[in-house]
Amino acid sequence: MKAKQVMVTEQSTSSDATRQTPPVATSVVGISKRFGKTSVLENINFDVAEGEALVILGASGSGKTTILPIIAGLEQPYTGKVMLHGKDVTELPARERGVGVIFQSYALFPKMTVEKNIGYGLRIRHRKRKEIRETVDDLLGLVQLEEHRNKYPSQLSGGQQQRVAIARTLAYKPEVLLFDEPFGALDAQTRGHLRREIRALLRKVNVPAIFITHDQEEALELGDRIAVINLGHIEQIGTPLEVYTKPANEYVAKFLGAANVLSGEVKGGNIEVGAALIPFREGHDFSEGQKVKLVFRPEDVSLTKSSDAPPHQCCIARGIVEVTNFVGAYERVSVRIDLSESGSSESDETPFYLTTQTPESQTSKPIIATRPKPEATAVKLKQGDRVAVNLSSFTVLPDVPPRGQKQVTKKV
Amino acid sequence: MSSIVPTMRHVRGFDVARPLSIGVLVFMMLPLVFLPLASIFIFGTSKGLASFWAALMAPEAIFALKLSMVTSFWATLFNVVFGLFAAYVLSRYNFWGRNALIVTISLPTAIPTAVAGFALLLLWGPYGILGRFLSPHGIQTMFTAGAIILANIFVTFPLAFGVIKPVFDTMSRSLEEASATIGATRVQTFWHVTLPSLRGAIVSGALLTFARAVGEFGSTILVSGNLAGRTQTAPLYIFAKFNEGQIEAANAIAIVLALFSFLIFSVLFFARDWLDVD
Repeated sequence: MKAKQVMVTEQSTSSDATRQTPPVATSVVGISKRFGKTSVLENINFDVAEGEALVILGASGSGKTTILPIIAGLEQPYTGKVMLHGKDVTELPARERGVGVIFQSYALFPKMTVEKNIGYGLRIRHRKRKEIRETVDDLLGLVQLEEHRNKYPSQLSGGQQQRVAIARTLAYKPEVLLFDEPFGALDAQTRGHLRREIRALLRKVNVPAIFITHDQEEALELGDRIAVINLGHIEQIGTPLEVYTKPANEYVAKFLGAANVLSGEVKGGNIEVGAALIPFREGHDFSEGQKVKLVFRPEDVSLTKSSDAPPHQCCIARGIVEVTNFVGAYERVSVRIDLSESGSSESDETPFYLTTQTPESQTSKPIIATRPKPEATAVKLKQGDRVAVNLSSFTVLPDVPPRGQKQVTKKV
Repeated sequence: MSSIVPTMRHVRGFDVARPLSIGVLVFMMLPLVFLPLASIFIFGTSKGLASFWAALMAPEAIFALKLSMVTSFWATLFNVVFGLFAAYVLSRYNFWGRNALIVTISLPTAIPTAVAGFALLLLWGPYGILGRFLSPHGIQTMFTAGAIILANIFVTFPLAFGVIKPVFDTMSRSLEEASATIGATRVQTFWHVTLPSLRGAIVSGALLTFARAVGEFGSTILVSGNLAGRTQTAPLYIFAKFNEGQIEAANAIAIVLALFSFLIFSVLFFARDWLDVD
């Protein structure tokens, strides 16, 4: 209430009005939010296109949960504005925005039946009985809850309740659907199933949606695009593939799944990591001698016993297998790579550097590799095996310190 | 040692504590609660139902019962609506002096009813702080049915509030937020979402208030003037008839009041589940 006077600061720098995607349904422009003196969100900008699903992915305390109430009108931003289909709704109260919120707890009205819950939005809009009944019937069919229409929310399973919550918002044709940690309250199996169900449902109704989650797997599966948020800032927005394979920084790389990170330096068109020189795949805009980080995923690593790398891969180092774990679909191998020697040198003794945390940990680094089951069974690896470490794909990032631990301490 | 396996079945020793403690409990309650209640019925019906009925049908008796019901009804209505409003304000908004207000609302439970009645007289009575300005204009609040309602309101003030407030406190805010995002106004949200969740609390709060108001004596005897057929409530009638030595007349009303409170408490007890049913 205090921050009523919205101070629209100069945010023109960040608004990219020229997008060739379908028309923008929802945009958030230069939103920041403070609770007292703690800043929770800083200059948040994103657009959601018609029919698109955007996932806001962040750890707890990243500020992600504050975004939904601001879009829904339940909280007032400190600066910035919220646009729904081109209309500035920042000053409108929640009930005039026509936004559909699916709360984490679903917030179904406990004293109303499924039917009454779904029809609520139309009843308070004083629509005709016939129209309400038809809409409710359609929606019950859409979410496949026809036979539960006269039940009360407490008689439904979590997934069914969620579908009622979605149908309840779809009844009044919302501008955008906002999902707050939609699968947080469900067990792992139901989660995956519901995820695909909701994805299919959204495709059918073609309503733009914004999901809030901390689960990277969920984000990758649900989103047309993902916005990774950290300490109140958006680190990167992109398609799941972009964000996963071309992370903008180390934080994004690590947050979206396991990532190995090696420090290196640019040297004459190559990246020097320890004794290995790795050629750039594509053009780059790093200056000579710049410190960089080499980031690669465990599945981008292939381990070979011979020193010659498979086609289209480059060998970065040799290493010693420390641990192998069989984890179902694949095998996870911990390899301690030796960066002090050149890739092909031979020194068979020295088993004692298996003791980790040695002073020369600068030159010997542990990395994680995963191998699909067929490969794991074909070429068995065991502790102490010497292998060549080859990369099929990697990302080079400038070596910048991670976002400072600002005074963003408030848990949101 | 291991060869001596006891084959005898374990028989738990007879637990003396259980029947003994139950017995003591019942025995203690006998002279304190059961027997006094029983004697109302034993005495009241000792001369036959006909005389009980005659005592009950005395015009003053009927008037007293009616007056009690009517004044209690208005006091209950006021206190439930007020309690609902107070609980809403005090659980939704945080402000300076909030706790002081909560304590003040709850205070009347701790004040002796005679003191409450006396306080009302000092305010509204013909020589009271406000009453002295009203009485020259012919406005007389004390010694009327209105005074009884005022006394009832004062004495039962915190009851409905006390039942409704905790329900408000535990109610999830997201229900109301959901209703708002769906497009409901505050009034619609209150009517369709908040109020249904409070149904049980409102009914039990009302019953408690009503039961307490019907039986109110201490404050009523001071503010009503105790005029038979005009401002005499049922408890006052019992007291007056007892003083006049008309035990039967007093007893008939006492039976009605006792049965009435049984009824209210069984509704409270058995209807809880029904009221909270989804």
